[in-house]
Amino acid sequence: MATHLQILLIRAALALYVASTACAFTYLFSKDEKWSRWMLWLMGAGLLLHLGSFGARIDAFWQIPENRYYMPINSFFGALSYLSLAVALVFFVVEREHRLGILGAFVLPWTVVGAGAAVLWADPKVEGLVPALQSYWMSVHPVVLMTAYAAFANAFGVGVALLIQEHQIKSRKPSELCYRLPSIEELDTLNYRIIVAAFPMLTVGIIMGGIWAYNAWGRFWGWDPKETWALITALIYAGYLHMRFLKGLRGRKAIYVSMVGFASVVFTFLGVNFLSQLHGYLSGGG
Amino acid sequence: MKVFRSVRFNIFLGALIAIAAALGTFLPQVPDAPEKVSAFQQAHAYLFPLYNCFGLFDLYHTWWFMALLGLMAFDVVACKLWNKPPDAGMVALPPELTDERELERRLARKEAALRLKPLRARFGVPGGAGAAAARLRAALSARGYHVQEELRSDSGAALVATRHRLQRWGSYVAHIALVVILAGALVKCLFGFVEMVPVLEGGSRAMQNKPWTVYVDKFTVKYYDGTFTPKTFSSVLRVQDADKVLGAKTIRVNDPLDIGGVRFYQASWGAGGMFRSVALRLGHALLRLPQRVPTRVPGTPFDVTADVMLPNFTISGGKADTASLELKNPAVRFTFAVGAHKTAPMWLLQNYPKLCLVEDPQGTLSPAPAPPFQLASIDPVLFSGIQVAYDPGYKIVVAGALLWLFGTVTLFYLHRRRLWILAEPGGDGTEVTIGGWSSRAGREFEPEFKALAESLRRELGGRAGVEFFQNPLVEVS
Repeated sequence: MATHLQILLIRAALALYVASTACAFTYLFSKDEKWSRWMLWLMGAGLLLHLGSFGARIDAFWQIPENRYYMPINSFFGALSYLSLAVALVFFVVEREHRLGILGAFVLPWTVVGAGAAVLWADPKVEGLVPALQSYWMSVHPVVLMTAYAAFANAFGVGVALLIQEHQIKSRKPSELCYRLPSIEELDTLNYRIIVAAFPMLTVGIIMGGIWAYNAWGRFWGWDPKETWALITALIYAGYLHMRFLKGLRGRKAIYVSMVGFASVVFTFLGVNFLSQLHGYLSGGG
Repeated sequence: MKVFRSVRFNIFLGALIAIAAALGTFLPQVPDAPEKVSAFQQAHAYLFPLYNCFGLFDLYHTWWFMALLGLMAFDVVACKLWNKPPDAGMVALPPELTDERELERRLARKEAALRLKPLRARFGVPGGAGAAAARLRAALSARGYHVQEELRSDSGAALVATRHRLQRWGSYVAHIALVVILAGALVKCLFGFVEMVPVLEGGSRAMQNKPWTVYVDKFTVKYYDGTFTPKTFSSVLRVQDADKVLGAKTIRVNDPLDIGGVRFYQASWGAGGMFRSVALRLGHALLRLPQRVPTRVPGTPFDVTADVMLPNFTISGGKADTASLELKNPAVRFTFAVGAHKTAPMWLLQNYPKLCLVEDPQGTLSPAPAPPFQLASIDPVLFSGIQVAYDPGYKIVVAGALLWLFGTVTLFYLHRRRLWILAEPGGDGTEVTIGGWSSRAGREFEPEFKALAESLRRELGGRAGVEFFQNPLVEVS
């Protein structure tokens, strides 16, 4: 029952996300503020349904006594569902602080991709957790890390907007878009602010994983591909921060570095499943 | 020495570590998958020795990778401790207080310095500069600023006010935390140990790193219904030094036994091939056979012996083998005998009752017609895989982790604001100039700064109108 409900709700949420993204793109090329409002309303409604779907998943998950009371994000479906939810939530926070509705077109596609991949390709079935995952860290370590990933996805969207804006400014015939997008400085700052907020989450999430690994497997760090790639991601973003603070890196070049970081985030989340026996969604391990 | 403290060098070093670490995830590593390393060796006869001489198959434990990490730790110390303290913050601040005596010159210098601040505000207030400075000081203290007075006289006054001063230590603490974490890892490498102790249920095994013996009195594994996914597995564990019991506990995954820092983890389990008995179904009757004990089949002249059990039966190279130590597809080898005459050994599989494989003297298997008896059940002796780990560096690592948490949160989540205030006689009273800087990037501080200047002016009863200036932050390249 709960499984059907969660699928129904996430499909409805996905439909609303798609509609919201369509509004975001329309807003990009139209001066009418109503598209921005529609985008936010549809997004908000989608978010509520998505939360409902996730709630239904938690309910189904907790039917299995061993899974109580851990978060159901061990499987690909659960992880993608949470990730797209987090992207939307972070976008709301950014939007609330900065009132940059225009960014919807650059960030919301990630929500659609995440929720869409969950609906189309992932198995929504809930299963019992293997003993290694039956730990309260299950509700903390992946949640913190995926929230950081979601923030990095937002930063990536802002980066794309910056590159487009820079291209517009440099071109001989800047289009309407040039006036719609925020200034380069504003986008650069926002990209940086999001990364700076997510970086401690990423690193602390990695450390939490180490503490969990020490309690489950007797080692803090084991150079497992997932751990290694998370570390590489942290190193890239640390490089970005140092170049910014100490070398005054700004604008396009800074965005390129942060985009390499995001590529590493995507690889850590997806690519590593093909490398790691221990940590992958495909193997059902930790 | 200078090179180690250069940002360029350290970014290059970080990139090198990242690339090396990434390489290790694409090549099989000996500690994780020795069989994959052997397979790689067979597949790439020429590449293997080349890679191997750089230690690429145990990359994370090679001297050069360790050296890179060590160099990173050294550089962090070099950058953070030997660079000119104090830390100027995230952007270079213009020169501050100097030793020059002459007030005029000092104020002139301050004014020049103020002009470089990202944000500036200017407004006029009635009264002398000294009095204005005193009131500004009180007003800023009330707003949570820490105020230092640098100069105060009626011919000019200067203040520096800061909020969330802790933020400036964040960078130091976070960098020191990294070194502490690496030091913890080093302590583990030098003084810690890890060993795998597989113990048969009801048996014991001596440890290598300690003169202790590990007893597993009972081992239990439960599966989720209809799957091979374990629900829980646990061992009733006892650790003894000769006759003295050092510790005893039912351990499960995520819940180890700790004896003075030596921790005993429930890591794995498996079936090694030993069993207490197997049951053979003959029509409606069940015949129980202990391992390697010939047993008479009732009402016949046959003796039957069950000698070998494979937990996850597979055929490799035409011979019987096991794919793993999990009881996924158990098979048992039986031999029938009448007096001294023996039949060829035959394999029966619990999950496939109609399958029977006969083994020739070379061990090669061939299918045989389904026999009138089946393998009904097995009572295996399982072994419990106990991982024993001693990590004296763990507490250091945790201390480093807490420092890191404190450092990064302070550095990135606290918002340090700094104001430089100059009060000089001007107009019919005092001209107040405020320069502002904040640890937040870009124009984030601007609205707050403007509101603050405006409210300070009002509080000091100044003339209407605050002039604002700003310096560019980012230029389009």
